[in-house]
Amino acid sequence: MKNITSTILIFLLAYSFLQKVNAQEIANKNWDSGKIKGIRYVPYSSYQGMAFMNNTWLPGKVEFTTGEIADSLFVRYSSYKDDLIYYNRAISAQIVIDKASLNGFSFTDEMGRERIFRKYYYDDFRKSDRYFEVLSKGETDLLCYRNVILTSTMPYKDESLIYKNLDYETNYSYYFYSPVKGYSSVRMNMTALLSKFDKTLKRPIKKLLRKNRIRVSDEASFVNGWKVLEKEGYKVVF
Amino acid sequence: MKKQISLSILLILILLTGIAQDRKGFGLFTDRDVYVSGEMLLAKVYTPDDNPSRIVYLDLVSPYGTRICGVSLQVHSNQTDGFLQLPDSLHSGTYLLRSYFKNTSAKSKIIREIWISHRFDGLDETYQMNRLTGLEKCQDQPTEQIEIDQVDPIYHTPAGVEAKIKIDEKLLKEIDGNILVSVAQTEPSFIPASFIWSSDRIPAGLTENKGIIVSGSVIDKKTMLPASGITVCLTIPDSIPGFQYYQTKSDGRFYFMVNDYYGSVQAVVQCFGNSAIQRLKIKLDDLFAAPDKLAGMSSVPASETFKNTIAQSIDAVTFQKIFNENNLKLLPAPQRKPDSYPYYGKPSNTVNPHLFIDLPDFNEVSKELLPGVKFRNYNNEPTMKVINSASRLYFEDQPLVLIDGIPVRDLNVIKGMGTADIKRVDICQSERFYGDLRFPGVVAIYTTKADYSQLPESDQMVRIKLEAIQVPASLYEPAKQESTIPDLRQVIYWNPSLAPSGAITVHCTTSSIVGQFKLVVRGKLKNGTIVFAEKQFEVK
Repeated sequence: MKNITSTILIFLLAYSFLQKVNAQEIANKNWDSGKIKGIRYVPYSSYQGMAFMNNTWLPGKVEFTTGEIADSLFVRYSSYKDDLIYYNRAISAQIVIDKASLNGFSFTDEMGRERIFRKYYYDDFRKSDRYFEVLSKGETDLLCYRNVILTSTMPYKDESLIYKNLDYETNYSYYFYSPVKGYSSVRMNMTALLSKFDKTLKRPIKKLLRKNRIRVSDEASFVNGWKVLEKEGYKVVF
Repeated sequence: MKKQISLSILLILILLTGIAQDRKGFGLFTDRDVYVSGEMLLAKVYTPDDNPSRIVYLDLVSPYGTRICGVSLQVHSNQTDGFLQLPDSLHSGTYLLRSYFKNTSAKSKIIREIWISHRFDGLDETYQMNRLTGLEKCQDQPTEQIEIDQVDPIYHTPAGVEAKIKIDEKLLKEIDGNILVSVAQTEPSFIPASFIWSSDRIPAGLTENKGIIVSGSVIDKKTMLPASGITVCLTIPDSIPGFQYYQTKSDGRFYFMVNDYYGSVQAVVQCFGNSAIQRLKIKLDDLFAAPDKLAGMSSVPASETFKNTIAQSIDAVTFQKIFNENNLKLLPAPQRKPDSYPYYGKPSNTVNPHLFIDLPDFNEVSKELLPGVKFRNYNNEPTMKVINSASRLYFEDQPLVLIDGIPVRDLNVIKGMGTADIKRVDICQSERFYGDLRFPGVVAIYTTKADYSQLPESDQMVRIKLEAIQVPASLYEPAKQESTIPDLRQVIYWNPSLAPSGAITVHCTTSSIVGQFKLVVRGKLKNGTIVFAEKQFEVK
């Protein structure tokens, strides 16, 4: 008797569950599977240094101009060409994603840190859409253009014993950015940071940074310092 | 034992709520109950709040369940409104309006009776009315918490009506979303009912929580089995064509989601086999719910007053047609964010052949005008190749060739096209990718006719006219009455989405139509109950 009752109960439970779930039924169709537009990646010439910000494929996601997001991608950012490349497993191809189709992208680096890049129009020298890494997001963003350039160097032999005289060299540039006021270039040191504020504020800023034991000397300390200052309400003078 | 009994009761309750969830809060209301063929019908649909679908369908069906016409409406806050153009050719009789979500259409639909008279012989055919029987009625509840004041029992035409609607504060808190307020002619001898039609039929459609879903299957014509690994494309021709693709699995099924399109949309569904000799057939699923086998109907003799109302309506509609009066004003559809460039990429070259000297065929056009495009027609077997600008070599494979955005594999279709036929050619001289699709160069031809009539019909290509989301509309109210044109509006006020508040004033003017009119206020409560209040007046 007990068995029959339990069977009926299980049946009722399953049926009622199905009734509830049926209305929400939807096969998990990947509607956005076909949305990434791009061209085949043609390998760059091999020189000393790194053309990519990350040489390995890292898990990341992209945000299209339509606002839709595609995740579960393996990506790497080409600092040399300012392009995002993803690996399409289905067709075993490395594809340079059209910059015009993206708002930005992000990936988790080897250290487990999320790196967020946004596309902004750079209206100064060499006007174009550029991917900037967002180091700090707020009323005024702190951005980094992680650019790599080819520079002449002393001749050297590469792996194939071919003489070369060029190498990839990092040429990072940093900006305070406000959608209204535009870009203000800045270097990663204390003097440059102080120069971005009103002269009368230099002393309290120094005091505040000292209090927080921040000695601005590189990118990481600069970002920390700026975050502290922004929190306290200090505004950059563009 | 006690525990088991209480558990059983609990489960039965869950079960009952599961069944009820598709019905609670479903409501379908129209501006009037009696229409003349060729008229516009205005409708408001309340939808259950537990259905994630964003698209609700409104169809006009014959008493036998056959669909005559219909629209797709976008749901906002569990309600929507729309209009339906009643065909001119309808015979006089009782028709049914049905509304449903695709994902629950097999289980439940809401059905409402309406009467439609044929404009030319409607009166002769009106001697009895068929009414639905044997279905579960779905009635809205009258409420005293909505008061309609300052409506006189009699108005003379033309006169201004200024009604005050008071909604009780308690009810106001209970109302979910906007309310419907309408003032329209009514026929007391024909009080239609709404019914919930339900069956245990399966399968249900997919949940359209983002947009309209176009689905179907591909069959291998040789084996008559579902074809897997087939690329099925859906193209919506435009200056920047809309494009989607789907690769079929072992069941041969494909799905496309058409969102952000409004009104009638022409679309083309194609499939491409894995080899040139593979013969395939596309079978599209019905875009609307299948015909329903409804319960029986009983006949009731038509009353004299009903016949008189119909005679008056027929006259009014005939005059409106003569004077080309339009009762509806289409509102701008929400702006779809267009793609900034086509799915095949930004063209490296764009050529406008019609600006050049007249060239008779595509061979000449490609030779003279199209950079990096090699089109040859040896032995009547045309081939095309596009240069890869990165390597300065021609791609081995045939590029993606498009006519008005629609992919074409058979180049015989384009070989006869001269400069007079071509408006624009976009060329991409690079290896493009769109998702998992690879295009070794692209040649996109946009024709002057832009009707893609060159494309041959086949089992592998289906053209469909898709009723995408209906463009919003509002009732046209004449600003100033012109004495030479009779005002024959039978609906003098229609606001299907009025924000509820404690005191609402409704202004409208009576038309030249005399008879019984009704002001109705209708709203849905958070518990799914639909409540209404109404007040009748006469126009003399």
